[in-house]
Amino acid sequence: MSSKLIEVNNLKKSFGGLQAVDVESLVINDSELTSIIGPNGAGKTTFFDLISGFQSSDSGKIVFKGKNISKLQPYQIARLGMIRTFQLTKVFDRMTVLENLLFSASSVKNDSLFRSLLSSSEQKKYEKDLNEEAKKVMTELNISHMAGSYARELSGGQKKLLELARSIIHKPDVLLLDEPLAGVNPKLAEDILNLIQKLSDEGIVIIMVEHNIEAVMQISDRVVVFAEGLLIADGTPNEVRYNPQVIEAYLGNDDE
Amino acid sequence: MNRLLRSKNLILTIGLTIFGIVLVVILNPDGYLRVLLNLLTFAGIYGLSAIGLNVHFGWTGLLNFGHASFMGVGAYVTLLLIPHAAGREGDITTTGLPLFLALIIGIISAAIFGLLLGLPAIRLRGDYLAIVTIAAAEIFRLLVRDLENITGGVYGIISYSQNLQQHRPGFVTNLATKFDIAPSQTWVCLIAWISIVLVLFLLKRLNNSPWGRALRAVREDEDAVRAMGKNAVWLKLQSFMLGAGIAGLSGVLLAFNYGSLETTVFIPLLTFYVWAIMILGGVGSLVGPIFGSIIFWVIISETDRIAYIFFENANGQQLAGVRFLLVGFLIMILMIFRPSGLLGKKEELLLDVK
Repeated sequence: MSSKLIEVNNLKKSFGGLQAVDVESLVINDSELTSIIGPNGAGKTTFFDLISGFQSSDSGKIVFKGKNISKLQPYQIARLGMIRTFQLTKVFDRMTVLENLLFSASSVKNDSLFRSLLSSSEQKKYEKDLNEEAKKVMTELNISHMAGSYARELSGGQKKLLELARSIIHKPDVLLLDEPLAGVNPKLAEDILNLIQKLSDEGIVIIMVEHNIEAVMQISDRVVVFAEGLLIADGTPNEVRYNPQVIEAYLGNDDE
Repeated sequence: MNRLLRSKNLILTIGLTIFGIVLVVILNPDGYLRVLLNLLTFAGIYGLSAIGLNVHFGWTGLLNFGHASFMGVGAYVTLLLIPHAAGREGDITTTGLPLFLALIIGIISAAIFGLLLGLPAIRLRGDYLAIVTIAAAEIFRLLVRDLENITGGVYGIISYSQNLQQHRPGFVTNLATKFDIAPSQTWVCLIAWISIVLVLFLLKRLNNSPWGRALRAVREDEDAVRAMGKNAVWLKLQSFMLGAGIAGLSGVLLAFNYGSLETTVFIPLLTFYVWAIMILGGVGSLVGPIFGSIIFWVIISETDRIAYIFFENANGQQLAGVRFLLVGFLIMILMIFRPSGLLGKKEELLLDVK
């Protein structure tokens, strides 16, 4: 029933002598909610950077929707339908919340210099539709009241929400979330978790790096564990929870 | 509230500009019209250039310290295409393109120069781009100086003004004669300010458009722009070309204002004057550079007279020293009271650079 959406083979990346990522094989299927966990420095964010094109791998192959994307630019990968967020939230500080969303949703064609110079009625209509779209997403995420605020005036948690909204409005097939719950208060964290669950139910494939183990165990279909760049465990939350290798990676080896 | 504050700023800025102009009239009781015309011509040309720089820095966050070279490319390409005389012997080239066509090619050349410079350099961030642009501008200037066969080198280019002045309408000549000011400069001044209006009209459209929004996003966070599937490098290159084209136009006007052109016009000081004007007017503000430019030129041109009032017996050299003290002092005062520039938005004060 489920089919391969992302296929990673022999993906390697090192920084100087440090082997940051060394993944032999990882397949992400349609309609899965996968979490990547692991101790600090396990290579989780580097792995995200590699598949979203923000860093280039030393060797290996990443296939997305049947296309080899390991040599593509970040924007080309995003156009294929893979959208990511960042561990340190990146919002457009001196733009309003609404502008943040409009920019994300706007098509490349709509952004073009000549179309903008002509300012055709076609473009105006497109912009109006975008506005509607943005309003819908803002209502869904409960941030409508902040539409006119500059993004830099938002709190840390609100910025996380905005980044999420900006990704959703792009209508991605795959959403890479880098620590969506970091620094967010418990109430908002719950809202964000529910939202992620809902997006997954709607058919968006979600891959999430997260340190909040409780949350991970609660919503994931599948948990992948990284340690020192290697993939050490892969399975359902329950399988992973009692895996001795995972416990060792987190708590350290007694023999040492 | 914000709107009220902004219109207050605008009134204050216009007030300050009028005060500056009145000051010029008071300090130059004989022939103040001639002084004013000269001032407004330079203010218009430099203001236009600052508007171009604002597209780079204010809109896109590109730290361009080679703006003079874009003005230079526009000026040299245009002048060399029209009838002119160049070099030590003053070799006369009588054939050439019509001015308007040459001007278009000049502007496009400046934009292409921006593209060529940007292709390798625009991936660099912040201060690195600044270093590359300032170096490229100097290379351009030295190259033009040494290619004496083509550009006239240190001997420069002359005898090209007629290309513009032959199109001067009668009413401009009549008006200038009536007020006893130079008709040729009046014509250049008029064209400079018409250009500003046209360019501002275009830029206002772009600023409110999806394209302008995309540039602002690039200014804020390039990585996030990439992550949204937008080609940040191409957006930056477009911004670079547009700003360079506007600078090219201002360079041509500068050449026609001088009446003769040589390479020392395009020294880095020109770039820094344009930067000062943009910051004074307000980074990111559309009309800010115009007011910034007028006030800047009032300060530059009238400080020696003010210095003369304080030190009656000083000689020229001493006055020059005092003058630049005053220039620095006045610009400091303005920046202390209006750190975001005359018409800059306070929310956009943060001058972080990508």
